[in-house]
Amino acid sequence: MVINIMKKLKYIFITFYFLLSTFYLFSQEQRFPKPEFETGYEQPSTITPEPRALALEYFDVLILIIVLSLASYFALKKRSRQGILWLSVFTLLYFGFYRNGCICSIGSIQNVVQSFFDPAYSISVTALLFFIIPLIFTLFFGRTFCGGACPLGAIQDLIVVKPISLPKWLNKTLGLIPYIYLALAVLFAATGTDYIICRYDPFVGIFRMDAKFHMVVLGISFLLMGMFVARPYCRFLCPYGVLLSWMSRFSKWHLSITPAACIQCKLCTNSCPFDAIDFPTNEKEVIKSGLGPKRFITYAVIIPLWVAAGIFVGAKSHTFLSKANPDVYLAELLISQPELKNDPENIDIETFLASGKSMETLVEEAEAIRADFYIGSMIAGGFIGLVIGFTLLNTVVFRRRQDYEPHKGNCFSCSRCQDYCPVEK
Amino acid sequence: MNNTEKLKLSENIAVIAGIFSITVALLLLLNFWQVSKSDPIESKALIALVDRLKQEPNNEELKVEIRNFDLLARKAYFNSQWQVKTGAYLLLFGAIILAFALRVYYSLKAKIEQPDIVLENEIASRILAQKGIIIVGAVVLALAFGASFATVNHLNYYNVESETAGSGEKSVDESIQVIEVGEVPKQVGGSTEQNLTSETSGPVQPEIVFVENSVENEAETVVKSEVPKLATTGGITLADVQKNHNSFRGPLGQGVVAHKNIPSEWDGATGTNILWKSPIPKHGYNSPVIWGNKVFIAGADDSSREVYCYNRADGKLLWTGVADNISGSPAKPPKVTEDTGLSAPSLTTDGKRVFAIFGTGDVIAFDMNGKRVWAKYLGVPDNHYGHSSSLITWANKLLIQYDTNRGGKAVALDAATGEVVWETVRKSKVSWASPVLAEIDGKYQLILTADPIVAGYDVETGEELWSTDCMMGEVGPSVGYSDGVVYAGNEYAILVALNPKDGSIIWENDEYLPEASSPLAHDGLLIIATSYGVLVCYDAKTGEQFWEHDVGTTLYSSPMIADGKLFMMDNDGMMRVYEFSKEMKLISENDLGEIAGTTPAFSDGRIYIRGDNNLYCIGK
Repeated sequence: MVINIMKKLKYIFITFYFLLSTFYLFSQEQRFPKPEFETGYEQPSTITPEPRALALEYFDVLILIIVLSLASYFALKKRSRQGILWLSVFTLLYFGFYRNGCICSIGSIQNVVQSFFDPAYSISVTALLFFIIPLIFTLFFGRTFCGGACPLGAIQDLIVVKPISLPKWLNKTLGLIPYIYLALAVLFAATGTDYIICRYDPFVGIFRMDAKFHMVVLGISFLLMGMFVARPYCRFLCPYGVLLSWMSRFSKWHLSITPAACIQCKLCTNSCPFDAIDFPTNEKEVIKSGLGPKRFITYAVIIPLWVAAGIFVGAKSHTFLSKANPDVYLAELLISQPELKNDPENIDIETFLASGKSMETLVEEAEAIRADFYIGSMIAGGFIGLVIGFTLLNTVVFRRRQDYEPHKGNCFSCSRCQDYCPVEK
Repeated sequence: MNNTEKLKLSENIAVIAGIFSITVALLLLLNFWQVSKSDPIESKALIALVDRLKQEPNNEELKVEIRNFDLLARKAYFNSQWQVKTGAYLLLFGAIILAFALRVYYSLKAKIEQPDIVLENEIASRILAQKGIIIVGAVVLALAFGASFATVNHLNYYNVESETAGSGEKSVDESIQVIEVGEVPKQVGGSTEQNLTSETSGPVQPEIVFVENSVENEAETVVKSEVPKLATTGGITLADVQKNHNSFRGPLGQGVVAHKNIPSEWDGATGTNILWKSPIPKHGYNSPVIWGNKVFIAGADDSSREVYCYNRADGKLLWTGVADNISGSPAKPPKVTEDTGLSAPSLTTDGKRVFAIFGTGDVIAFDMNGKRVWAKYLGVPDNHYGHSSSLITWANKLLIQYDTNRGGKAVALDAATGEVVWETVRKSKVSWASPVLAEIDGKYQLILTADPIVAGYDVETGEELWSTDCMMGEVGPSVGYSDGVVYAGNEYAILVALNPKDGSIIWENDEYLPEASSPLAHDGLLIIATSYGVLVCYDAKTGEQFWEHDVGTTLYSSPMIADGKLFMMDNDGMMRVYEFSKEMKLISENDLGEIAGTTPAFSDGRIYIRGDNNLYCIGK
């Protein structure tokens, strides 16, 4: 009976998230018009909200450092899943709902990139620290940021109910997506086009309770998926995860499943909902498989071909990609549909016309941006080609392993596996 | 607390949180339903009060009442906002508690799983991963590569000169001056002006031969007197439209063309006198229009609407203009019948721009090189067959008959910018007829026919000058005009001759009535083609019948007069050439070899016919 009720509750839980979407949409649509007659009341002019006080920004940095320290302490020293869990709850509440998901380390990639390419843009110290500090911590302690200090990770981690294990090939294949996303995010930030990581952050709308309908649907979809495929955003989209993964592979101290020698009890094999535990290498199988040096050399040799293909495709698709830039978009819109100059409802065009800028200047600027995209797209394409090449190469590289170990690059340091380990210190 | 107690506690919390969340969610839905039912923003009472205030602007009591009502509506609105926001937080809170309790419950219930006996075969998995990576990598690169081909670099089409050339008023005046002196037009700079001069090359005066040879001597005086007058008002001249077949049914839409040496014999099957034929990419029932060395037609289907420009000399498709990305245009085209389609209206051109209208309500202008100049969405025409009224241009205006099931109107758009110059609401029902121009009492009139009125409008102002309540049914034929008389007819209605000065009926007849083909009047004769295949010639002055010829096939095309002959195309692609006289004399029957119900265009000794699939040029 109780089981039945609990099963039903599971469905009720799912239903809530759908219901949530209705009033997000609803709150978006309701707007009250101005009165239709003169009342003598003067509408106050809209003002930009004051930025958060600098001291409070530094306070956020301090909180980040404390949370990271605690996460590292719980994962490496205390080996406490409970500690990480409660830290996640705090992170979700503080960096998620209280700080509205901003500033976040994931989005700070774009600030850092723009500061390199836009001489007029000056990155705030806070944004820089939010970018660097988790990377430094990861270099020493593994991805403890993902485990306890990331609000996006926290919201997904807390709703993992019945995780399923994905086959390795699927993990590897989908693992390409964050690299592509990172390349595009860097390209768009470098060209001053858009901060796509922030724009398409599926959870920030939930934190702020004001997302557009399609983003709410996306966020809820991720959460629903996350109940069964744990942390889908972290594993298959997060561009910051790419950097953290690189750092974590070289981490000096990383979480280990066992506090002492592994007794090969295999109790931890299914403990990781993120498929981040590497099993001992079966050397006989490896030798038998034929995935040896010959294939390694083949894949190594074709890496330049992947890069070349990426550069070629990048160069070709720069026109398409550059259309995301507002200036290029506006210039093309005015060229392709000149009649829109007379459309008073097109705010972009009205703003442009009111600015006094000439069409010629706009087109010149758009052409300059497109030229930047030409270079940027080639680099992004080359990077994606390189990643494909190396990922392919990595499938034929076998590391000798005798124990069950967390994959340093993919492990989120959530400490779940440690709970399963019966070995005492 | 032991494990069982914890289990029980988490279960209870989960149940309570679940019930709480469901209740809040239901209340939120109820709130949403209530607000949507009684939207304070669309309050009928408030709208009624505001309307009253417009009539009584000084009624202070009413103002106070409106303010109170408005305040009440605002309070209701902000109250509902508060309810939504508070409800959202409560629901979120409930959902968090529920999720947490469920997690605890499942973790307490969880048993340590048995380790997998057979682990995933890592080698097989890696081989699969290799395939997956190669496929995903290739797909990503292929998609990006494909996107590059599907992308148009509009920046390449930016033309500084054309952007800074202005709206074209100045160039119009300059071009008119050129025509006035009867010499080869000067090139005055700027791309549009160059187009005009290249398209209207050659002296203008000798081209008005038609007027000299015509029985209608009055028309001659019109030409002579109008050309200088139009030079001051701007726009194309009568000489221009007589030289160029720029609209449906030729000059002014009257069906009479001035060109000579028109062939009267050809054969599509053997290729006799077929100079070229070119395939038409998309289907349409519009007829060709001509300016200079270019022929224009349009085609459309559900996926796109297109304008085609062909080289008049060799039939080469010079450019295709796509009518897309028009602000407001529906993503899904309206439902139209097969025999009308989305591209039934013929195009028109003023030598600088070519204009098209489609069944979607999209109007678009391209310059003579295919560069989009402007586009406008008029709203989907509510027409159960599909919009078919052709365009016509005069005095720098694009004139549109927009009679739909939701009411009729005549619209004039600025030819250079697409802005509305005037718009006149007509007391008419839906119509499929096309506008015709005629010079009456020194003014050019736009003459339109629909159920129930035939009416004339001042081209300059849109003012309705006269209107006669005489038509009925689904009006397809446009009017005919000659010698100061307007001829209008429709099947199951009547054929009338009207005096456009006062709208009075001169004579009427109901023996032979056209269904789609327009009446043609010229030189004292009136030609009517019925859909059941009878071609009839009347005395234009009295309505007395001179002759009839039962061809036995459907006649939807409109008759045309060129080179002293009457050209009548039937729906099977057979064009019959008659001597244009009081007596019936069939000169030839010419089979195109392809079905064609459109009306031919004439230029420089050649006939241009749109077949079902091909555009034909017929000449010697």
